[in-house]
Amino acid sequence: MRIAVVVLCVLCVPTPRVVRAQSITAEAAVTGGLSTDEVSAAAVQLRAFGDVTHEIRFFGEAAWAGRSLSEDDHESDSFNAAYPYTNRVQIVEAYGERIFRPHAGLIGVRAGRFRTPFGIYNASDHAYSGFLRAPLVRYEEYSPLSNTFLEHGADLVVGIPSLTVEAALAAPADIGEVARGSGVDAVIRVQGYVGPFIAGVSHMRTPNSQLALDASGRTTVTGIDLRWMHGGVQLRGEWVTGQPSGAATTTGWYGDALIHRAFMGPVTAVVRIERLDWTDAHSAEEEYLSRQTVGARIRLTNTVVLQVNALHETGDDEYLPRALDVAVTWTVRKP
Amino acid sequence: MRDAPARDTVVWLDAPNAPAAGHPPARVVLDQRNLTFIPHVLVVRVGTTVDFPNNDRVFHNVFSFRDGKRFDLGMYPVGALRHVVFDQPGLSRIFCNIHPHMAAYVMAVDSPYFARADESGAFTIAAVPAGTYTYHAWRPGATAELTGTWTSTAGPLQVTWP
Repeated sequence: MRIAVVVLCVLCVPTPRVVRAQSITAEAAVTGGLSTDEVSAAAVQLRAFGDVTHEIRFFGEAAWAGRSLSEDDHESDSFNAAYPYTNRVQIVEAYGERIFRPHAGLIGVRAGRFRTPFGIYNASDHAYSGFLRAPLVRYEEYSPLSNTFLEHGADLVVGIPSLTVEAALAAPADIGEVARGSGVDAVIRVQGYVGPFIAGVSHMRTPNSQLALDASGRTTVTGIDLRWMHGGVQLRGEWVTGQPSGAATTTGWYGDALIHRAFMGPVTAVVRIERLDWTDAHSAEEEYLSRQTVGARIRLTNTVVLQVNALHETGDDEYLPRALDVAVTWTVRKP
Repeated sequence: MRDAPARDTVVWLDAPNAPAAGHPPARVVLDQRNLTFIPHVLVVRVGTTVDFPNNDRVFHNVFSFRDGKRFDLGMYPVGALRHVVFDQPGLSRIFCNIHPHMAAYVMAVDSPYFARADESGAFTIAAVPAGTYTYHAWRPGATAELTGTWTSTAGPLQVTWP
């Protein structure tokens, strides 16, 4: 194929200052993964996003995902970071959004179906935390958080870029194996940054998960997160505490380093330690789960990303103590 | 086979005797919106400041490590603005370390005579004095620049990729 471009030299067009509204973009991502945890997984995500007008945007995502365990009663949280493994197509997010910029201020209004804006699990860091197993998330009765928590409702952000308050009032609309009961939930998050530091505090009050020992009650969970970044090194820490099922209390934390220095080229490395402690309301016995992870995300080409995680877990005999997870994602985007 | 237009092709003319850039130096915007850099390809004159505003609701982390201007702007949220001065000629590949599918190119050229092709493959370079020039062309995916000679009296320049 011969490709030609033509230049016409005439007097016009000064400096190419560029600000323009974006047209609709469609994106497809296909992921396949294998784990020595005797798990294989595959997922397809279709997204469409763009500007309805220059001020109003939309975002929609549908996903299909399936996961195969070696045995039906085998427990594993491998590849649980993002997808609802229901083996059918589901709408993940579908919302419209408008952002106002009065003077130095910032006001954002979002309505529709969106991820729960708690901590750094929400979409603001969702891709970044996608090192195959999200920290602090377990799909168990003691876990107050899930990566597949979704809301039907409205979300408001008010502030200035360096300090914002975000509040969501919605009804749970979760997908996947952990679904909260019906009702109204509220999430509030305050986030600020100074120089390389970003700090946030989140609080959520929501109906209990149906996995909870008391599925009719309410979950309250509070979290504090702190991030620091310089020269391609990001340090993150997050602490959460909550009552996922009445008298039971779960407290967890993690710290990690995400490293992407110039000499590393297409490789981003992660090192993470995390721990969850909880009390069972019935036995009043303290239990814990601890995990250490070393991994990397490698951009093989502009469209193919490889993720590798090696991890060690203790505290819950249902999980294998060591595992190696590998996943490849191919993404194509059509503007 | 019919020729296809090469959008986002960058063309510039060597002009060692061209007037210096104005003061203050030009500022150009490479926007981050809807998980996309806009535009996908940007061409600027050496010395230009490129603003990288975050107009998304999510954090972005703009960096360029591979070649050209090397920098890492760190994470910053919606409404925040970071900038980079492209003070050397060359191609910089721009990525977001949070969203691996975001990518853009900034080509800094040491000439005031440059342009980027539109969707039809056509582009316009402003105020080129009559004369003979060495031209350069590059486009995303190209393994190397094309170079050649063009004389203004010979009519419009057509660049054909092999």
